[in-house]
Amino acid sequence: MSLVLTRTHPGIRALLVGAYVLCVEWARVSIQSQPYMAIPALVMGGAALGLVALGSPADRLGLGKSRPGLRILGGLAIGAVLLLPGAVRSSAVPILPAGLAFAAIAVSIGEELAFRGALYAALDELGGAPLAIAGSTAVWTAAHVLSHPPVFLGAVAAAGLLLALWRWACRDLVAPIIGHVIADLAL
Amino acid sequence: MKRAVLLAAAVTTYMVAAWMVAPGFYDGFGPTQPYNWTCPPPQAGANTKPSLGHLDIKVIGGVSDANSAFTNDGQLVIGFLPGAFDATGKTTISVDITPLSTCPQPPGIRFVTNVYQITASAPLAKSANLVLRFSNLEPAPTDVYYASDPGGPWKSIGAQQQAQPFTIVTSTKSFGYFAAGYPSTSPPPGAVTVGGGGQTLPIIVAVLIALVVLAGIPLAILRRRQSHGEVEEEGDV
Repeated sequence: MSLVLTRTHPGIRALLVGAYVLCVEWARVSIQSQPYMAIPALVMGGAALGLVALGSPADRLGLGKSRPGLRILGGLAIGAVLLLPGAVRSSAVPILPAGLAFAAIAVSIGEELAFRGALYAALDELGGAPLAIAGSTAVWTAAHVLSHPPVFLGAVAAAGLLLALWRWACRDLVAPIIGHVIADLAL
Repeated sequence: MKRAVLLAAAVTTYMVAAWMVAPGFYDGFGPTQPYNWTCPPPQAGANTKPSLGHLDIKVIGGVSDANSAFTNDGQLVIGFLPGAFDATGKTTISVDITPLSTCPQPPGIRFVTNVYQITASAPLAKSANLVLRFSNLEPAPTDVYYASDPGGPWKSIGAQQQAQPFTIVTSTKSFGYFAAGYPSTSPPPGAVTVGGGGQTLPIIVAVLIALVVLAGIPLAILRRRQSHGEVEEEGDV
């Protein structure tokens, strides 16, 4: 998919990538609510989101191999930040069933590859970092409209902004992936 | 430095936004609401007592209607097919669901839900579908257990494939007492645990902000060095 998109105008590419990830996310949430479909929808949704990054150079997605220790440390820190408000407020130790944990990992990786990977790169090429950060955060928030009550969308947007800012500041997608996986496993 | 400041600002913004809505950022597949406990575990925090449920089922032409009884908090749902009851001589059948006010823990079994008593004004003629919701604060149950008396004996009536996250489904041909759990002689079913609460929130928040910023600075510096020779700061916010 990405190989085909690389030949199109940056604006059209960004529009197509944004529309695709929105459709996948909304479809995933709709299917997920059906009986017995939660885990298949999460796994297939994660795979469908990851497809949009297929064929893109790793560096363009922020998946460089340099300084892996720092990237992992950053991911752990982001995960801790994302978890902290919920963990402290409930004084709880959340537990996710093992089957759902695998699905959570799949969809977390897929979302990062799609939003902070392919979509960020497409918007960056179109209008630079400001558009990439704002645009990927806006689409990320819109993608969660069906799965979250309106009152939660501020926290969703803030999480998206943090992940996108890290992607810009460090040119790194490894830490957002790790942080997102940790957060999804717990919440 | 600008990048570090923006990252710190983003962390702070997230903390404030997430603090206003528990549990903060989540991706939409955890429990949609906290479990209402009869005997809350220590980590449960604020707790609301579990709800009762009541249903009157019509009997038309000697056949009971299809319907579902559920507690008002949705933690237990029992569904009945048409003709599920032996409705001889009845025009309506009442079903009541009552959470037990105590929390029995029979030997060899670890309950992870409340114990519910289900009664009806007629016996079952067909199996009824039973769905119990459970909390993410306890390991996922492997079985639904049944007893005709809360003192036991309790026996497993199995569990079907999970229809929705954090629910367990089975069927029953009898009314009585029901709870979900797992054999306590075996280790808790596979689960992933993360995180935990704390009392030193401001210190933790400050450390985390510092950690994110410190972790980001070396990568940001590397990025800046790589940018030299290209268009300086092009596209930066």
